[in-house]
Amino acid sequence: MRAATLVFVMLLAPLIPGIASRTRSILTARRGAPVWQLYSDLWKLSRRGSVYSRTTTVVFRLVPIVLMASVVIAASILPLDGRSAMLRFPGDVVAFAYVLALGRFVLVLGALDTGSSFEGMGASREVTFAALVEFGFFIALASLSVATRELSLSGMLGSPALADTWSSSAPALIMIVAGLFVLLLAECSRSPVDDPTTHLELTMIHEVIVLDHSGPDLAMILYANALKLSVIGALLARVAMPTMELSYAMRVGVLAVGLFAVGVGIGVVESAMARLRLPKVPLYIAGGSALSAFALILLLQ
Amino acid sequence: MILLFGGLSLLVAAALAVISMRNNRRGNTVFATLVVAGCGLGLVPAVQVLYSGTAVSSAFGSTLPGGAWIIGIDPLSAVFLIAVFGVGAAAAVYGIGYMAFDAHTPAWPSHAIFALELVALSLVVCAQAIMPFMGAWELMAIGSLLLILTEYHHAEARRAGLIYICATHVGTLALFAMFAVLARTGSDWSFSALATGTISPSGARIAVLALALVGFGVKAGFFPLHFWLPPAHAAAPSHISALLSGVVIKVGIYGLLRVITLVGAPPAWWGWLVLGLGLSSAVLGVLWALAQHDIKRLLAYHSVENIGIILMGMGAGALGAAYGHPSLAILGYGAALLHTLNHALFKSILFLGAGAVYRMTGTRNMEELGGLARRMPLTWLAFVVGSAAIIGVPPLNGFVSEWLVFQTLFRAGFSTDALRIAVLAVPGLALVGGLALACFVKVGGVVFLGTPRTSRALTASKPPLLLDCPPLVLAAVCVFIGCLPMLVLPPMLIAGGFVAGVPVLPAEAGVMAAGVGAKQISILAGVLALTIAGLWLIAQLLRRTAPVRQAETWSCGYPLPTARMQYTGSSFAAPLLEIFGRLSSVRTHRGASVFHSEPVDLILDGAVVPWWAVIERAALRLRPLQQGRLSRYLMYVISTVVALLAYLLVRAGGR
Repeated sequence: MRAATLVFVMLLAPLIPGIASRTRSILTARRGAPVWQLYSDLWKLSRRGSVYSRTTTVVFRLVPIVLMASVVIAASILPLDGRSAMLRFPGDVVAFAYVLALGRFVLVLGALDTGSSFEGMGASREVTFAALVEFGFFIALASLSVATRELSLSGMLGSPALADTWSSSAPALIMIVAGLFVLLLAECSRSPVDDPTTHLELTMIHEVIVLDHSGPDLAMILYANALKLSVIGALLARVAMPTMELSYAMRVGVLAVGLFAVGVGIGVVESAMARLRLPKVPLYIAGGSALSAFALILLLQ
Repeated sequence: MILLFGGLSLLVAAALAVISMRNNRRGNTVFATLVVAGCGLGLVPAVQVLYSGTAVSSAFGSTLPGGAWIIGIDPLSAVFLIAVFGVGAAAAVYGIGYMAFDAHTPAWPSHAIFALELVALSLVVCAQAIMPFMGAWELMAIGSLLLILTEYHHAEARRAGLIYICATHVGTLALFAMFAVLARTGSDWSFSALATGTISPSGARIAVLALALVGFGVKAGFFPLHFWLPPAHAAAPSHISALLSGVVIKVGIYGLLRVITLVGAPPAWWGWLVLGLGLSSAVLGVLWALAQHDIKRLLAYHSVENIGIILMGMGAGALGAAYGHPSLAILGYGAALLHTLNHALFKSILFLGAGAVYRMTGTRNMEELGGLARRMPLTWLAFVVGSAAIIGVPPLNGFVSEWLVFQTLFRAGFSTDALRIAVLAVPGLALVGGLALACFVKVGGVVFLGTPRTSRALTASKPPLLLDCPPLVLAAVCVFIGCLPMLVLPPMLIAGGFVAGVPVLPAEAGVMAAGVGAKQISILAGVLALTIAGLWLIAQLLRRTAPVRQAETWSCGYPLPTARMQYTGSSFAAPLLEIFGRLSSVRTHRGASVFHSEPVDLILDGAVVPWWAVIERAALRLRPLQQGRLSRYLMYVISTVVALLAYLLVRAGGR
């Protein structure tokens, strides 16, 4: 069942960016791309030929593979089905974050592998904001751990303790959910930190890192990003809606609803806000971290 | 014990061999064989003690005050012995290849001192009484100084040596004071006697713990006592930097843990202080590392960071003991010890790799390098494994120990007393991880990837195998520990239990290690490797179905990209350093066509050097006391004798 949920999320993943962009086009009264646009993009790219820069080494070719593996492993640490993950052990929250860090490490090394100034710029921004996001993310994780007295994601999100916390200290959990959503937008390169629709390299963060990837490699990277969005979205959904008591079908249904809501939420933010100036981004991330920090203080008192 | 002494004699023999045979090939071969054999022999009893949990020792009678000189291995010594011998052997072999490049510096003295330094280091961690400990401690300090001064014809090395010797003297002074307080009650100065004797009043205990933090802190090099470390690590030859960073500074950690076994569970304030020092050391260390352009100075600041992480584990352990959670104490100390060992491994890899880069290009300035991955593939392989390990990503050893420190802090958050506040250190450690990732992407990317920025990098060639193999062997050990922590964690918990004063049997240690999830780390590593392998196959299939072309890097339509257009280390780190403002201690120069930054050390340049000037001025006033005139010195001697006689007379009269 746990594997089936993982496969379900992996199949559903490319839909979430589609939902976000569809929401945006509805809100801004444009025709917009269909929701399954990313599926056809991935299909098209996977059959295309690829171009490799002569500057690059094997690191560059490892990028899509390690990135995608890291996201899949992170997904298998998360209790997607609402009870237990495929991999669970004490402190697996750390593994969740650090496996994603492994993917990022290879991704940005690949960017510097090309020797392009644009990609160096993107790599620099990515590691800068990721370091700050990591800080905020662990405040949220520490709060969840303190609230549920659990050390693993499966324990935190799949145990009755979370439902109890919702009834005892809902304000803290609401702040954690809000904080996590703020960090999700930063981590998954969405507005207001990054603009996935921009066409100007100087303003990009994520898009500019993968400027030199093409064909199947690019398809894998785009897919890994969509999956990462779903994985962090699922984490958010599981914190927001504890479903320990429900049947399997209901739990997966709640997850699907949660992911849909995340997609819509991203679309709403993107149509309501412009991208922030880069020097303002640290403040934005600090704001998201502060929300979780308040929750942690509430839970510790 | 016989094996340990055998190993140490082989190391001494290695020193003698290289002194007598000087620089010829045979001398080097004999030296390398003897050092590796000696280290291998020394490792055997260390591993035995660590896995069985039973200590061994032998005593030598002494006519000096303080009773017998006891040399022994207990679980705590054993962890550090493994670091000494493991890193020592790899660095010594590498050193032969490294020094061969330098025609101006005779290599044999540094090789001989290196072997003797290994002996001194093992004696420091095996000494079980004050007298042999302080003796070995000073030998080690002098040995380190001589090693730092290997390239004494460089002013940089002389300055680093001066700063080091001043710092280490201050530390030794604090240690003398500490042992004086500890030993003042009895005539038996063995550690076992000191541990059983209770120290009262509590003021004495506070003094001992505070003095230990200063005395051992200088050696460990945590903030704000780290200022000697970056110049020394940068100025020494690379294999010596590896030993300094991997082992010598760890002896400071050893000392702190040893003091805990002597005075019993420290009070809570000490635990909070150590946790706070660890956190500030870790964050500032990695931040300052990010600002460096000299690759070895950068690695040196990372030692400050990692000592901070070790202190965080130690502090959490001390807090666990202070608040009455022995299992937390064992876990915290165990995590600190494992990170000590891990840091010794991956920092050595990185310094040895940096040394190979320096030898093949002639510069340590990252801004002049680039594209070395193609020219030095094996160096790059070892370096990237070391980088991934120091960042703490799975499946490498750095992840295992950082994960344990995290776990200790998370578990502290479950407690109902004040201990739960320790969970606030969790995000700090996460920030350190994020910054370390930024820093090592900068090093790896700017030095090894992209296109060469200068002709030095362009003309670099493959280093000899003697420079590539030792780091690769250490990298294999990093992967081993990262994939199979079940084999390494239990002995660390035994040693952690030893420090916490809660004996842990080998069987219990295995259960504890499994309880914290060490087995699942192996599963994680296995699944990760399988997923990567599977995806590699899929990617190869997909890449095969359509044409693959080679072209230039896309530069947005600009037809003539040059190597100078690449992002530099300065520009890569700039956004992060700007966020931290003045704390990041970097001077930035901006111009229409120029952007570069130069790092300053807040403590060394901001506090130590100005205060040093004040002390120097004060010292000048005292100069008339020492002018080199024999008559005046004789007068000092006579007046001292007279004063002592007067004292005796007064005492006799009083009776």
